[in-house]
Amino acid sequence: MIAFASPWVLAAFVVLPAIWWLLRLTPPRPQTEVFPPLKILARLIRKDETPDKSPWWLTVLRLLLASLLILALARPVLNPQAETVVADGPQAILIDNSWVTVADWESRLATARSLIEAAGDRDAPVILAFSAMASNTDIGPFDATTALEKLDAATPQPVAGDRNIAFTRILAVLSETKGANLALLSDGLAGGLLPVPKDVFSNVVFYTPANRAALALIGSVNGADALNVTATRDPARVAPEIFILSAFDARSRPIGSAELSFAAGEETADAKFELPFEIRNDIATVSIDGIATAGAIQLYDAGAGRRRVGLITGTTNEGAQPLLAPLYYIREALAPFADLVEPQAENLDATITAVLEDRPSVLVLADVGVISGASRAKLQDWVNKGGALVRFAGPRLAAAEPIVDDPLLPVVLRTGERALDGVLSWGEPQPIAAFPDTGPFAGLPAPRDVTVRRQVLADPSLLNSERTWASLEDGTPLVTGTRVERGVVVLFHVSPDATWSNLPISGTFVEMLRRVVQLASSNPSTAKTNTTALPPLRTLNADGRLIQPPATAEPAEPATAISFLHPPGLYGVAEAFTARNLFQPQTRFTPFTLGDDWNNVTQAAYITAEERDLRGPLFGLALGLIALDAMAVLWMAGALSQLRRRFVSAAAIFLAAAIIMPLHDASADQVSEADAIDAISQTRMAYVETGNAAIDDVTKAGIEGLNMFIASRTALEPGAPKAVDPAIDELAFYPVIYWPIDPDAAMPSDAALSKIDTYMKDGGTVLFDTRDELLSGFDPASASPATLRLREILAGMNVPALEPVPDDHVLTKAFFILQDFPGRYRGGPLWVEANAKTEADPARPVRALDGVTPIMITGNDLAAAWAADAFGEPLYATVPNDPDQRLFAYRAGVNIMMYALTGNYKSDQVHVPALLERLGQ
Amino acid sequence: MASIGDIASRSSGGELLARARARAALLPDLLVEAQRIANIITQGLHGRKRRGIGEEFWQYRPYSEGETVARIDWRRSARDEHVYVRDLEWQAAHTVWLWADPSASMLYQSRQATISKESRALVIVLALAEILSRSGERIAYPQVFAPTSSRQGAERLAASLFSTEALAPSPDLNSISRHSECVYVSDFLDPVDEIIEKLEPMAGRAVRMHLVEVTDPAEENFPYSGRTEFVDPESGSKLTAGRADTLAAEYRQLYVARREELNRFAKSRGWSYTTTKTDGLASSALVQLFGALSAGSQL
Repeated sequence: MIAFASPWVLAAFVVLPAIWWLLRLTPPRPQTEVFPPLKILARLIRKDETPDKSPWWLTVLRLLLASLLILALARPVLNPQAETVVADGPQAILIDNSWVTVADWESRLATARSLIEAAGDRDAPVILAFSAMASNTDIGPFDATTALEKLDAATPQPVAGDRNIAFTRILAVLSETKGANLALLSDGLAGGLLPVPKDVFSNVVFYTPANRAALALIGSVNGADALNVTATRDPARVAPEIFILSAFDARSRPIGSAELSFAAGEETADAKFELPFEIRNDIATVSIDGIATAGAIQLYDAGAGRRRVGLITGTTNEGAQPLLAPLYYIREALAPFADLVEPQAENLDATITAVLEDRPSVLVLADVGVISGASRAKLQDWVNKGGALVRFAGPRLAAAEPIVDDPLLPVVLRTGERALDGVLSWGEPQPIAAFPDTGPFAGLPAPRDVTVRRQVLADPSLLNSERTWASLEDGTPLVTGTRVERGVVVLFHVSPDATWSNLPISGTFVEMLRRVVQLASSNPSTAKTNTTALPPLRTLNADGRLIQPPATAEPAEPATAISFLHPPGLYGVAEAFTARNLFQPQTRFTPFTLGDDWNNVTQAAYITAEERDLRGPLFGLALGLIALDAMAVLWMAGALSQLRRRFVSAAAIFLAAAIIMPLHDASADQVSEADAIDAISQTRMAYVETGNAAIDDVTKAGIEGLNMFIASRTALEPGAPKAVDPAIDELAFYPVIYWPIDPDAAMPSDAALSKIDTYMKDGGTVLFDTRDELLSGFDPASASPATLRLREILAGMNVPALEPVPDDHVLTKAFFILQDFPGRYRGGPLWVEANAKTEADPARPVRALDGVTPIMITGNDLAAAWAADAFGEPLYATVPNDPDQRLFAYRAGVNIMMYALTGNYKSDQVHVPALLERLGQ
Repeated sequence: MASIGDIASRSSGGELLARARARAALLPDLLVEAQRIANIITQGLHGRKRRGIGEEFWQYRPYSEGETVARIDWRRSARDEHVYVRDLEWQAAHTVWLWADPSASMLYQSRQATISKESRALVIVLALAEILSRSGERIAYPQVFAPTSSRQGAERLAASLFSTEALAPSPDLNSISRHSECVYVSDFLDPVDEIIEKLEPMAGRAVRMHLVEVTDPAEENFPYSGRTEFVDPESGSKLTAGRADTLAAEYRQLYVARREELNRFAKSRGWSYTTTKTDGLASSALVQLFGALSAGSQL
């Protein structure tokens, strides 16, 4: 809903055609020239051509811009609020904060806020009252600020509220005033107002909710086979509706769900929770899914739950032979859904007294014949208050002297039992006839396998067929029962054990007992005792959640109506509480209307959305279009292409970097599985590529040549040399890395150096070859470029102290016995990690050392000496050209490789004698 | 202000032929180089100044083993102790395809030019036809004139050209036979890529192209200034330049770059590329073309 505060500005739209015409103005007509190479020219002109006409889209853009500006100047307003006529007097506001208002409370607040702000604008006092509030709540008059604070503090209450109280209080405040304004923010549900004294209100605004959505659960009946929940809805909701009800136990775990289906036009509907009895007993709350109000929830107390059943037997052999004990089958049948009480006392009277102190709902008397007078009175009183007395026959009851109109028996019994089966009987054991449709056993299938051999008989002349709940096929009653005041008395005409019939061991027995127990009220003896007020335990809030009771909640007597002071919820103590629900089963919702005696009434609707001034967004949009227009103009002038070109190249660089970087990182950090398997499947020497193809080729050929030599002389057959880049490749796979130093190559990166450092620390050996023996001068201070570069490289690593290979170093004896380590050149020393100088021990010609030197440095250009072509012919002449020198170079390579692979193996004492012999010592 | 350039009417036959004759008269008979041609044709044979298949004596040379004995010249061999083989001069004739671009852009003539580009193109083509016919070569014109050897080649070509209505704007190059020469006269104002794409297959078919670019001085110098609307005579599309003079330097650069690119392309294929301006003389271009056509003979 959009309205304009200054609609006359919209007349400016008539100038749009003029703007259009202006925008379409064309520059002077150009000189026309025929020009065949137009295609070449076109490549130029695209850049700085000024079109003779503005492109249509630019015209549209600018017209849109103009339109937006006109619209914005007309001050459009979204969701305009109806201006209501107000009098100058105070503003009274009566807000219904009942349970219905939870859903649209914000809109009520917004409405009230706008009313208060309007009152504040004209400096009128505000009286703010709520239908559900404590009677001592201050209702004003307030100034607008205070009223707003009060308003913000208000919340919906889980009760229906009472407008009359609030309205009376408003009238009391306004008794002396005339010309007041009244705003009724109603919830739409009936609950009338008092007649208005004349002239108090000169202006009444009556707000009703746009959609009346009241929906509530109003009651439930825990029937024999299902929990029946009744719901009602506002009569305004006539369409058929379906809701899902969910049942929860005391710990809010979902137990079951049922469908609540309102037929079209129906005000009420029922939902059935068809759950097993035991599970139904656990239901603590039932609520409508997705509707969070205090009305959409039904609370249950123990009244719907398990019954307490007292068991008393007349026999004394309980426990000795459990399967023959009279109560055994009853106990087994009732235990799943009832709390059993079996007091043990010295005699029957004491037992009955003890049982009744436990306040059972049901009392089972198994084969109890004679009940003394005192106990009889107690029992009768208990039954009258709602107890269910269930008696079973047996020899004692059969033998008891019948009492006329015994209130503790449903029928008058004949003395003695009837035996249907036995040597002196003609009769056959009788099966059970179908259960009558009216009794508590209605609907149970009659068991075909149950036969009764013995029973007690009712006096047929006094037998009332209504009291016969079950009978045998010959018509004699099997179960009789009757209501006695609020209680019920039931008699099973058979014994509770399996001697008279096999009924107690059939499944039907369990069902029958269950139904009988359900007949009893939950707590017959609490009805009288619970007349005192119970403190609130947990109360519902307006959202339908059980919370700690608010400070305003007061203890409630059972008869007290639900009100603000007595919100719905659980009252009592945690062990025994009563559920108080918001509604009575007869509750119906009727719409709220004002009486005929109300004058000056204006109907109004709640504010559903805030009033919004649209000028800001429109001006913003116009600004955006101006920016767009500027961009378009720049673009057409060709100024953007320059920028764009730069942007594109920059973007391309970024993109390329973004693509390359991850690739690079990935290859640096991760070795593909195939590569790794390939690298470690063979022992091989690696070499560092200098980037100088001449050097790298020599290195590769050299290692290949050495490999041939190693393979022919030793058990080792090294794999093809592998070129590595220490910055990228994983080095751990290689025992020796040969690194020819090329002074012209780029300095390795810090990352590469740190990787090499790690490799050396972790046991790898790097063989640096400066290849500069020939260049090394006589002055030890002068250094070749390669040596300088090597120093640079080593400066970035943790290099141990070095020494030329001493005579007793393992390296000299690792495979061949060598005095020096020549390469293409001879004379340069091989530097290795220095070891602590040990006393020269003639018995130990080889120093026992742990580990392998991480670093070897030579200048003899080993690779060039090793380098051989595919036929094994050497590629480079040695300096001096001495075939032996090449042989020694190969041997040096073998020793280095063996040393790297076997470590100090050769220094082991085991080999000393042989070595001594070889050394001639 | 009068415009710088204009569209000329199409040229008529007689006048052009006369002009072509005059140009052709300035050139000697043309000896068209024929590379890699082995097939002998009865007419238009001329010695290739090298050993090959022909009828004229070229040289004696000593017999080398393996050659067929039938080729031994016994008369010459009898004169001394060596055995000689008689070599013949390689003789071949060639077909030269001619093409002048008939598109609308060729009709352009600026005030600085003496004739339209189309007129210049036709003069060059007819002059070549005259020269080639005189020297016994076969000439052809795609779509108009199948390969023919005739003394009156130029007249017949002119007659056929001017009686053919509506020539296709670009020739059907597929009709050009393999291993022939093709003189292609145009203003080459289409995008270079398109031109190259069109001509590229000719290299594969071993056709030696001779590209002749006819250009109008106004196209090359771009003497325009001020607010100018340029109209393409072929497509009719228009472009407006706010200040044409500011474009001149860049335009010239592009124009020359196009020519150089075409030139490079032609050179890379072993083709010739000749430029003629309509404010200059056709003869200079003809001399160049003549040189290009006979270039192979020096090999």
